[in-house]
Amino acid sequence: MSRPGNFTRLQGKKAIRSFARKLAEPETIKDLNITPMMDMMTIILVFLLKSFSSTTNLITQDQNLSLTPSQTRLAPKQAVGLTITKRVVLIEGEPVAPINNGKIDPALKRDGENGYYVTPIVDMLTRVSNRERKVAEMTGNKFEAELMVVADRHTPYRLLTEILYSCGQAGYSNYRLLVLKNRE
Amino acid sequence: MRRLKEANDDAEEEMGEINLVPYMDIVTNIIIFLLAISLTQVPLGNVNVSVPTLGAGSSASDTPEKEPLNLTVTVAGSGFIVAGSGAVIPPIPKLPSGQYDFDALTVKLAEIKKEFPSETKANFNADAFLPYELVIQTLDAMREGKDGKLLFPDVIFAAGIL
Repeated sequence: MSRPGNFTRLQGKKAIRSFARKLAEPETIKDLNITPMMDMMTIILVFLLKSFSSTTNLITQDQNLSLTPSQTRLAPKQAVGLTITKRVVLIEGEPVAPINNGKIDPALKRDGENGYYVTPIVDMLTRVSNRERKVAEMTGNKFEAELMVVADRHTPYRLLTEILYSCGQAGYSNYRLLVLKNRE
Repeated sequence: MRRLKEANDDAEEEMGEINLVPYMDIVTNIIIFLLAISLTQVPLGNVNVSVPTLGAGSSASDTPEKEPLNLTVTVAGSGFIVAGSGAVIPPIPKLPSGQYDFDALTVKLAEIKKEFPSETKANFNADAFLPYELVIQTLDAMREGKDGKLLFPDVIFAAGIL
């Protein structure tokens, strides 16, 4: 029977051995606390997603659609999208009128070859503008009548004005021509 | 009280710790994907234009305002034609290389701006076959002077075509 504070020989040896083992083995982290790292990553993720959602739609450039550079400093704003490629006119990503050699098929125009009124564009945009007006009414906002025009750099001015005239007939009179900002 | 604490301890033991590693894998992948996209993304800008709209005419009792400038820039096959309020300035011909002289147009418009500092509107007209690229370059030349001052940023596409 040993009094407290007094070790037997065996107990002393055990204590020395365990102390020596503790000294020899470096402390290993058994359980890493990843919660702060997760917090940080979630914040970065939310920030990136937010910054991506605030920019306009991503535009894929190819041989039929190459944007033109400009010195403008204005940032693009979300609006109804109208795309003019070398082959087709698209409204909100939906093909509306085919283009052949920089011209719209005269059969699609109300007034024939020299006309400006492209019927499918006016019809489609009238539907879109009606929808936009209803949304603006319901949300208490003003209908801005803005179009975001993405056009190929080789689009002839005549074709551009024909399309813009048709847009005007559907109630859209303000256009945001999307361009590539020149890096300075 | 002790029973309640014991019950809580039991519940914690049963739930264990949520395994966050798969969640972290997904988040890391999405972040890398978004960062990679942002590197290849090209900066986009926009140029604002409008077309003439019909509006109610002003009544005769209105106070007579200063005569509007009605500046019109036309891109013809031979060069730029600048006109306004009944006057036509001598046309700005193309450079010997066959390119349009955008610098001369900017200088000319800066001179006009000095005479009409409050005017910001300009009509734009062009040759039917003028490519969109040159339309934008002309609008750039009309919008800002060499010193960075705004010239005629409110461009209206004229109804007619050459």
